[in-house]
Amino acid sequence: MISRAATVATLPATETPSAIRARTRHRRFLGRLGGYVFVLPYLTLFVVFLIFPLFYGLWLSGMRYELVSPQPPRFIGAGNYLEALRDPAFWNALGATVLFVVAVVPVTLVLALALAAGLEAVISSRRQSFYRLCIFLPTMITISVGGLVWRWFFNGEFGLFNALLEPLGVKVPWLTSPGWAMASIVLMTLWWTLGTPTVILVAGLKQIPRSYLEAAAVDGAGAVRRFFWVTLPLLRPVLLFVAVIQVIGGFQVFGQTFIITRGGPEQATRVLMQYIYETSFNMYRLGYGAAMSWLLFVIIVVVSLAQVRLLRQR
Amino acid sequence: MLRRYAVELMIALAAVLFIAPVGFIFLTAFKPDTEILHFGGLLPRDPTLEHFRYVLGTPEEIPVFRWLFNSVFISSSVTLLVLTVDALAAYALSRLNLPGGKAVLALIVATMMVPGQVLLVPVYLLLSRLGWLDTPWALIVPAGAGAFGVFFLHQFFKAVPQELEEAAAIDGCSRLGVFWHVMLPLARPALATLGILTFIGSWNDFLGPLVFLDSVEKYTLPVGVALFQMSYSIEYGLTLAASVVCTAPILVIFLLLHRQIIEGVSMTGLKA
Repeated sequence: MISRAATVATLPATETPSAIRARTRHRRFLGRLGGYVFVLPYLTLFVVFLIFPLFYGLWLSGMRYELVSPQPPRFIGAGNYLEALRDPAFWNALGATVLFVVAVVPVTLVLALALAAGLEAVISSRRQSFYRLCIFLPTMITISVGGLVWRWFFNGEFGLFNALLEPLGVKVPWLTSPGWAMASIVLMTLWWTLGTPTVILVAGLKQIPRSYLEAAAVDGAGAVRRFFWVTLPLLRPVLLFVAVIQVIGGFQVFGQTFIITRGGPEQATRVLMQYIYETSFNMYRLGYGAAMSWLLFVIIVVVSLAQVRLLRQR
Repeated sequence: MLRRYAVELMIALAAVLFIAPVGFIFLTAFKPDTEILHFGGLLPRDPTLEHFRYVLGTPEEIPVFRWLFNSVFISSSVTLLVLTVDALAAYALSRLNLPGGKAVLALIVATMMVPGQVLLVPVYLLLSRLGWLDTPWALIVPAGAGAFGVFFLHQFFKAVPQELEEAAAIDGCSRLGVFWHVMLPLARPALATLGILTFIGSWNDFLGPLVFLDSVEKYTLPVGVALFQMSYSIEYGLTLAASVVCTAPILVIFLLLHRQIIEGVSMTGLKA
């Protein structure tokens, strides 16, 4: 305050008040612009490694860009996209991915909600946070370790699951039948990824004011009615967030199938990410890989927007 | 009341199911091969360190310590980079009233919805141009572009009362001084949470090292373990011992800091 008054006092008398105002505003604008120095390190990384690659990928998707081919990269327009539409392996991978998403997302939502509601019902807060810790723990395990141990659980000959089922005389072809293989991947994924939606929903439940539930109880609503008529509608924004995150993650499934089934049997679990990975980094067809990545991106955006449309508060 | 205990019993059962596979890895790694192949109870009857001795003792064949060092180096560098650039950016975007700051922030936050897979091929080519493929930089520098940390810290900074900053400014603090002496100490819990989540995310990353690294001695532990599993698929004991080495550091961090980790993850849902 003092410094600005001093500046005004030393100004030549010929300057009009509006010019002074304009100049100080201009100077203050420059001062505020100077704050961008703080943002610059992040912004540089953001532009170079996120914004630029996003559009570079789009450009690549219009190129025949093959690292092992003697021909130089050239622009082929929609060629890669048309190839994908005619490529049975692409459709197979898309089908496997959609099957995975359709199987894993609803089950995840229901189970995470059940676990969260169950956790909230535990009276002792120490025991509650202990159970929550246990449920979250698998999320901390890297996929190569988690996949390894589950692949062994699923092993038909000396795996744990068939050993446990042996007294019943049942032998499940966990990883050797196409249908079971996808079910096995889904089962493993539930173990590995339920932690995050569960803890988010627990936090969501804790935000619901107790007075609402008490008021419903006074009005004679039982526990089930309270859950469906009070808790669930109030939880809707958090549930929507969890559902969107799950779908985005589900479409990008890779590690589980890569480690446990390698895409087999009969390509039943060869998901889109694995096909993109193999196309790009085993066959080095980067243009085609980039095009399929963009197709997957568009699918994810469309599905997420549809979800928000359908599930948002009306 | 009875119903509450029934619910708790179910939850306890679920909790056991979730931790059982992890416990299984740790217990089985100490079993001799014969016990591993013929399952006869959870606990090793004849505990042995032979798998660990082999995994840790033959660096020319299995460079586990090299992988451990790579993982520690990469995850620590990523964490340091993310905390530095994200804290600076989030501070300026939330407190300095930058011209166009709101739009920049909105753009950054919007990219949180961009799935990482769409960047894989272009970033690979970019890294190849930079000559960073098969070096740790390929996994460190691009990780600094993620938007989550900026968003996360922004939420924190914008809740700090204006008076604190003004008081520091009257005491003659520069903007950098305010950031360093006022904001950073206040943000310590948020920075710690972001740091832990970043470290664990980087440690457990699988696709990145798989695509960007080539030579065995450059691998991180998760990719090393996966390679291991492919070349020693029959010798479960060795793979399990390697898995224990890979998992133990993260489990220690998790058990020590689980409150912050779980709170941090929970908050992501409420702020969206």
